[in-house]
Amino acid sequence: MYRLEIDNLHVAYGGVQALRGVSLRVAEGETVMVTGPNGAGKSTLMKALAGIVKPQTGRIRLGGRDTTGQSAERVAAAGLSMVPEGRHVFGSMSVLENLRVASGQRRDRSQVEADLDYLLDVFPVLKERTHAQAGLLSGGQQQMLVIARALMTAPTLLAIDEPSLGLAPKITDQVYESLQTMQAQRQLSLLIVEQSSARVVMTGARMVMLRSGQVVLEGPARRLGAKAIQAAYFGV
Amino acid sequence: MTSVLQYLFDVLSLGSLYALAALGIALIFGVMRLVNFAWGDVIAFSAFSLIVPTTDAMTTLAIGALPAPLLVVLVLLIGAALSIGMELLVFRRLRHANAATTMVAAFAVGTVVVNVLLMMHSSRPKAIDLWSGLNAPLDLWGARVPALQLVTIVVAGLLLAGLVWMLRRTRIGLEMRAAAEDFDMARMLGVRANQVILVAFGLSGALAAAVGLLMLTKTGVADIRMGGSMMLVAFVATVIGGLGSLCGAVLAGFLMGLVSTSLQAWLPMDVRPFRDALLYLAVIVLLVLRPGGLFVTSAATQRV
Amino acid sequence: MKKTFQTLLARGWDTPVLLSLSLALLCLLASLWGGAGLQRTATEILIRITVVVGLYVFIGNSGLMSFGHVSFMCVGAYGAAWLAVPPEMKAYTLTGLPQWMAQESFGALASTSLGVSLAASLALLSGLVLMRLSGIAISIASFALLAIVNVVYSNWDSVTGGTSSVVGIPTTVDVWGAWAWAVFALVLAHAHGHSCWGLQLRALREDSVAARASGVNLYAVALVAFVLSGALVGLGGSLEAQFLGVVNPDAFYLSQTFLFIAMLVVGGSASLSGAVLGVVALSLLVEVLITLEQGVTLGSTVMRLPGGTQEIALGLVMVVMLVLRPDGLLGRAEWKLPRRKF
Repeated sequence: MYRLEIDNLHVAYGGVQALRGVSLRVAEGETVMVTGPNGAGKSTLMKALAGIVKPQTGRIRLGGRDTTGQSAERVAAAGLSMVPEGRHVFGSMSVLENLRVASGQRRDRSQVEADLDYLLDVFPVLKERTHAQAGLLSGGQQQMLVIARALMTAPTLLAIDEPSLGLAPKITDQVYESLQTMQAQRQLSLLIVEQSSARVVMTGARMVMLRSGQVVLEGPARRLGAKAIQAAYFGV
Repeated sequence: MTSVLQYLFDVLSLGSLYALAALGIALIFGVMRLVNFAWGDVIAFSAFSLIVPTTDAMTTLAIGALPAPLLVVLVLLIGAALSIGMELLVFRRLRHANAATTMVAAFAVGTVVVNVLLMMHSSRPKAIDLWSGLNAPLDLWGARVPALQLVTIVVAGLLLAGLVWMLRRTRIGLEMRAAAEDFDMARMLGVRANQVILVAFGLSGALAAAVGLLMLTKTGVADIRMGGSMMLVAFVATVIGGLGSLCGAVLAGFLMGLVSTSLQAWLPMDVRPFRDALLYLAVIVLLVLRPGGLFVTSAATQRV
Repeated sequence: MKKTFQTLLARGWDTPVLLSLSLALLCLLASLWGGAGLQRTATEILIRITVVVGLYVFIGNSGLMSFGHVSFMCVGAYGAAWLAVPPEMKAYTLTGLPQWMAQESFGALASTSLGVSLAASLALLSGLVLMRLSGIAISIASFALLAIVNVVYSNWDSVTGGTSSVVGIPTTVDVWGAWAWAVFALVLAHAHGHSCWGLQLRALREDSVAARASGVNLYAVALVAFVLSGALVGLGGSLEAQFLGVVNPDAFYLSQTFLFIAMLVVGGSASLSGAVLGVVALSLLVEVLITLEQGVTLGSTVMRLPGGTQEIALGLVMVVMLVLRPDGLLGRAEWKLPRRKF
């Protein structure tokens, strides 16, 4: 069974037909990276997945459960955790409080504490600053916070929109390293929107390229080759 | 010395009342960006719940005859219930509507509540003796202070402390703070929007009921329009305190109490009737100097 | 000739023309077949249209909510009253008026002009300050303005008579007079909406960040709209004074504010036709409810709704309308002639 199945999704957003029949699959423990030029519909795809925007037609299934058009809380309960574009920390709350907000729907108290300790180990920058106000952290620290926070919901699929936005390459490297560690240990599926095709090739994940609301290229990034990727990106 | 002490108590008691009112509005505004213009009418409704509905001038106590602790709990519950009712019946269906629409809807709901009260009780102000003994002055270090002022200050202090505790130490408080800062993000982390909003409305309604009881004890009169001026003060205080900041709303409430009392004390006699005009002029000046309010939260500044 | 017509169509002038003609039809029906009561209702509707169109000029175009406009109505009403009321009556109650006002009574046009000028001046003065603010701060500040004007007019006894009404204003406004002024308001509102000031202001409504980034001088543009809308609302106030013959500060405070904003929002705050529709729809609804409250004879029984029902029903209908159509009855659409599609 796939962790995520999106079938023929059509979404209108802001008066524009943003997605025209997008289909994709993510297997358990797999990493899929969505890329493409601006306006391709990548963020809309994430919003529809998270339950922020309702699709017109098509189906989204998380771990076999149909979550099409459901509210954000229900989608979160079904095992998706979304890290939207732009970090969105709860600035006036502390790092620890940010992390604790996410564990609200979980019933396994002791496991929640164990996860908290584990995540603070994976992200040492957070461990040093548990009582710091989240709004005062640097960009990279905030990005790590929101990823750790998303993981506190114990998701089966972690979806991240543009993790590298506004971050120095070295920090982005650290972020991706932590993601890979987590994935190895927890069979976590990752769906990442990433602007930089180069970064996608570097991680060696499976690439899905969107352009004008449709999937124009799909496959393991390293095997596709730079030429094919460029051609699909620019539509030549 | 005594007049300074009296002045201090005046400021603190009026400020406490305004702070509670501001909180009643700010709780909902913080979470939903909705100004509940019907909040003032919950005050009147709660006050009128003490008597048997009648269009006569004479009133008979219904809930008002119960012993104080029971009375307080019941009235607070009534206020909370009315407020929650508004959310369930009206505001929930307007969750995604624009600000103007929700404001007009809130006004409309308020009008309905006021007119229901009108039908039940007539537009005549009704005399209700609620703990009128509290208006007797106490001798505190030479100043004559009505006991009610002390009660108001203590009650407000307790309620504020209770709310702070709830917000900082409980799960629901944590979720409310998160929802107030970034509603959609909170939902994506599993925070149940509807629950949080219901709690906000319930607390807001209970605060309205508390304010109503305090006003009733002071004046001894219930009037269907008694919530109007308090609503205005609460609204203004929420904005000048800074959007999304509960702390700011409380402080702004105290500030308005301070300014209002000061104007009352220092203005020359013939300018007194214009006191409120000067208060509102001060509000405009404050907004020009600090457009984001006293406490600009990260939520209020728009990231470009 | 045809080219002028097409240019006018392209600029949307069919909308105010259609609105004016249909309102004229209303007036015709009222004056030919209606009794005095119906004519009064029609006049009241037209005066309200003037006010709500004024609200639209600012609120509809900018997307900013102002709660203070009824204060301009108050200023306009009293301004007209000061000139129009006969000197014998002014002498006793309004002792603080300047000599030249107190000694004579002026005609309708002069009185209205003063009312409008005073309202526009207040709008300019307050607008200079308020337009520096943004978003909800403007809403609060406008509320503060409303409160200030109300307090001042309720207490400045020598000039306004305080909380007692100023009576004796000659009732010179009739159905056709009100219609003419309403058309004037529609024409001004439309012209403004399609002028560069109106269009630039609408950019603010659509996307405030992008508008600022485009170099639009939002302060100036919003100020122009604020003053124009203050003038139109003041005009409505002057007309109201010369229609009722009586003014009182209480008539220009919270419930009026709510009613007018509701009419705008229910009709569709982003549309001129919506403003008119909102006024007509809610006014007619109120009339129906008042009639029901007074009793309707069905055969031998008189059916009557208890007092207070009118306001409750009005409130409930408004809530239902808004839940069903949150952007108002017309949303952003305008009433236009069908265009040929190519």
